[in-house]
Amino acid sequence: MANNSLLTVQNVSKIYQMDGISVKALNEVSLEIKPGEFVAIIGPSGSGKSTLMHLIGCLDVPTSGKIILDQHDVSRMTERELSEIRNKKIGFIFQSFNLLARTSALENVALPLSYNGTTETEGQKLAQVALAKVGLGDRLYHHPNQLSGGQQQRVAIARALVTNPAILLADEPTGNLDSKSGKEVMKNLHDLHQQGKTIILVTHDDKVADLAERKIRLKDGRITK
Amino acid sequence: MPIKQLLRTAWRSIKTNKSRSLLTVLGVIIGVASVIILVSVGSGLKDYITNEMQDMGSNLVMIIPGDIDLDKLGAGGSSAMSGSFAAMQASKLKLDYIEDLKQGIPEIKDVVGLVMGSAPIRYQNEAMSAQIIGTTENYTDLRQYGFTAGGFFSKSDVNSGRKVAAIGHKIADELFAGVVPIGEKIKLGEYRYAVIGVIEEKGGQGSLTPDDKVYVPITVAQRQFAQNNIGMIFAEAKTADGVALVVSRSEEILQRSLDEDEFTVLNQKEILSTVSGILNTLTAALGGIAAISLLVGGIGIMNIMLVSVTERTQEIGLRKALGAKPEVILAQFLTEAVVLSVGGGIVGILLGAGGALLLNIFMPATITAWSIVLAFVVSAAVGIIFGVAPAKKASQLSPIEALRHE
Repeated sequence: MANNSLLTVQNVSKIYQMDGISVKALNEVSLEIKPGEFVAIIGPSGSGKSTLMHLIGCLDVPTSGKIILDQHDVSRMTERELSEIRNKKIGFIFQSFNLLARTSALENVALPLSYNGTTETEGQKLAQVALAKVGLGDRLYHHPNQLSGGQQQRVAIARALVTNPAILLADEPTGNLDSKSGKEVMKNLHDLHQQGKTIILVTHDDKVADLAERKIRLKDGRITK
Repeated sequence: MPIKQLLRTAWRSIKTNKSRSLLTVLGVIIGVASVIILVSVGSGLKDYITNEMQDMGSNLVMIIPGDIDLDKLGAGGSSAMSGSFAAMQASKLKLDYIEDLKQGIPEIKDVVGLVMGSAPIRYQNEAMSAQIIGTTENYTDLRQYGFTAGGFFSKSDVNSGRKVAAIGHKIADELFAGVVPIGEKIKLGEYRYAVIGVIEEKGGQGSLTPDDKVYVPITVAQRQFAQNNIGMIFAEAKTADGVALVVSRSEEILQRSLDEDEFTVLNQKEILSTVSGILNTLTAALGGIAAISLLVGGIGIMNIMLVSVTERTQEIGLRKALGAKPEVILAQFLTEAVVLSVGGGIVGILLGAGGALLLNIFMPATITAWSIVLAFVVSAAVGIIFGVAPAKKASQLSPIEALRHE
């Protein structure tokens, strides 16, 4: 295993039990991602890309195989340990933004910091910087319902950036946006990649995946290319 | 997560569902307020009765007809007390015993006898019904009553059976509007009495206040009610230490002429402790009944918190994805439940205290510190106890399942 890899997925399988029937969502998947890469994981629904994203995002653990994230073996961790890793190493960007309603952009962005012991004043300072980075420095106190979809997703990107994570994990980030806002969000991601961020983009859309440097194609729980 | 942030999050979510939160909290408010009000009624009653009994004078020993067991009274509310009027009619106590007791027990300061009855009282064209107490000349000394006019009858009035009466303040007011009653003639039933004194206002109600009573010499009362017995004897010991001796010596003396079950000697302190025991039980029972509504309020909070957890599944998933540990989610939902219940508790305390103060205008009600502390602690406990289950449910949600929830 190369020492310079940021994420190593080794022979990972995930089996779900559904009504007594075993469903193999991932079958012996292996991949490696280096620091600063922009990788797209692409596949139709049911291909196992969501399962893979959950495992990479430390939201779940594999049935077998090993996942090493930034030198931490995250494949056998408890929920408590996983939540700490998620907080420090992963920046999530969701399809439906998942911002807290009735909560200002600034507080939304500062939320992950409140879970790692950062003081409130320090958290707000960092959140302000992150929002400025995505071009929303003048929307600090706006609530989600006062922002456009594109702006909301940029707040979510700022929230993902604020902890300075090892990986930005974007799950269909343009799925709920019109094409113009989608393009803006993709430009944001592209800029972040230029600044050296490692980004993993999960999508079913080839056009969106084209922006990535490398594509990993999944079908029926296996990598095809 | 610092407590300040937990409180702010809780407050934001409560504010989001204003009317729902208010209705939920209403259960706790009503529960806490009713605990405070009902306990204040119970302890107000107790204070009232204890005060009245202490007003009767200290070191008091009562001799009443019949066989009364205070322990039975305390344990199950037998009809011992309510049967006492009938017992008084059939009383075997005699006027002579007063002198026997006074002579036989040097520790006794004073002894009075009582005969009670009621009759219409008339003055010119005015009439009302009054309780008539036939007693001995030393009664007002024992009860420490003063007079606004005139005085009480003398020993020779009692011995000779003179038809004179001292009247309570209320009777003087109602029957003699404006007229000085002293020297005026009143009619009690078929008997005509001369008013010789008006007792000063004491307030209160029931059998213990002199305000609505007419006092006549005991010998006259016996004639008026056609009795040759007397209803009750009060003896006052010279010292508190002498009370026990007065009780045992009185029993000895009375047993010379009476059977053991024809009289009972009671010590005022015993009666007081029995009565306050009964009233404490009553207060606790009232508080307990009210506490049930507090419990129902708690269940209301649990119900709404469970709904809230389901509604906010996605939010919980997000918070977990962003690194909230299970105990942080637990703390968040628990804080919300406790803010609801403690908030309701505080409003309930204010409302309950206000209600008790208002009630105090119409009946004795004493706000007790312990009921307020208890209500507050219980409402906080209700929040914690009934908040734990929903909060635990939230903390154990899988982040994937929660994020997927639409």
